[in-house]
Amino acid sequence: MDRDEIKQRVIKVISQVLKVDESQIKEEHTFVADLGAESVQSIELMAGFEEEFDIEMDEDEALSVQSVGPAIDFIAKYLD
Amino acid sequence: MSLIEQFIERAKKDPKRIVLPEGQDAQIVRAASRLAQEGIASPLVLGQQDAVAALAGDASLEGVQVVDPADQQVLERYAAAYSSRRDSVTGNMARRVVKRPLLFGAMMVAEGDADGMVAGISRPTAQVISAASLAIGYADGISAASSFFIMVLPGDAEKVLVFADAAVAVDPTSAELAEIAVVTARNARALLQFEPRVALLSFSTRGSASHPRVDKVREAVGIARQLDPQLCVDGELQVDAAIVPRVAAKKAADSPLEGNANVLIFADLDVGNVAYKLTQYLANAQAIGPIMQGFRLPVNDLSRGASADDIVGVAAIAALQAGA
Repeated sequence: MDRDEIKQRVIKVISQVLKVDESQIKEEHTFVADLGAESVQSIELMAGFEEEFDIEMDEDEALSVQSVGPAIDFIAKYLD
Repeated sequence: MSLIEQFIERAKKDPKRIVLPEGQDAQIVRAASRLAQEGIASPLVLGQQDAVAALAGDASLEGVQVVDPADQQVLERYAAAYSSRRDSVTGNMARRVVKRPLLFGAMMVAEGDADGMVAGISRPTAQVISAASLAIGYADGISAASSFFIMVLPGDAEKVLVFADAAVAVDPTSAELAEIAVVTARNARALLQFEPRVALLSFSTRGSASHPRVDKVREAVGIARQLDPQLCVDGELQVDAAIVPRVAAKKAADSPLEGNANVLIFADLDVGNVAYKLTQYLANAQAIGPIMQGFRLPVNDLSRGASADDIVGVAAIAALQAGA
């Protein structure tokens, strides 16, 4: 899966979980400050990514990812 | 008898079901054994039966219920309940959320399968708060998690004060500060069985200084009185006008607290955290906490280094919060 496809699917999940229009989501955005996530929702975003890509992520590492671009790169590691 | 021993004795009178999600930890398993053997609570430990039994060693597991969070039937029930409350979370996503031990434990409480949860020996406090707020939610009228410490001051007659918030809420707004005051008073009444006399503290007494930070505290007092009109609450007060009757008579003669406040509410976490540690180290006070509050049902956090006896004490506190 190339990075663009991962990005597109990551944005789809963020849009669904945080109820933000896909066109408003940029790679440099942080989930809490820019996209209005409550910090407690990290676990739901993580579950959304796991479900979308059918992967199991390391919880501590995953929860340390705070913004869109790093989330794409983090997920890409599991798909190699 | 120490305050914790008193809590344990009171918890025995009406044992509650307390879920301990971190069944992979030996201290948790030993604490569960003691809770059951002494009739303090009915412990529910998450984990696999064999693994929990191996950790127990010589400790008896009679009366300890081991719950397997991989049980598909229960998992499905919790996932359905979770996704029905969170419309942005699909059933499949919910299954992945609730199978995590902290979320599973919090769902047991939310769904009435347990009366309270005690967790955090292996996870950061933020994750315990996250699990509780997602699965259980906040009490009516409360919008955020907070915490309090019970400070036991040494002396011939032990004096007990409650400090909030000294561990969780960093910079509460006036509305959040009011909520902290009201919910701390409620918990103080339940745990300590005294009538709370709540002071919202500042560097100003009755307008002796003017600053937006003073306004915040004064506004919080007004909101707290609206939230709980019966509550004995006052502010903004300097701490001496709150706890020294002689100073109160001089600086705030009209204060209903009369210099006898027993619940001290701090304007932000800087002052709260410094105040509790100063009291602990300079006055040799015992600090019990932080005790979490604000959730619809009790959830309490453990420090990473908690011993089995510490866990038993925290479980007893959760049980008393559940009975309140």
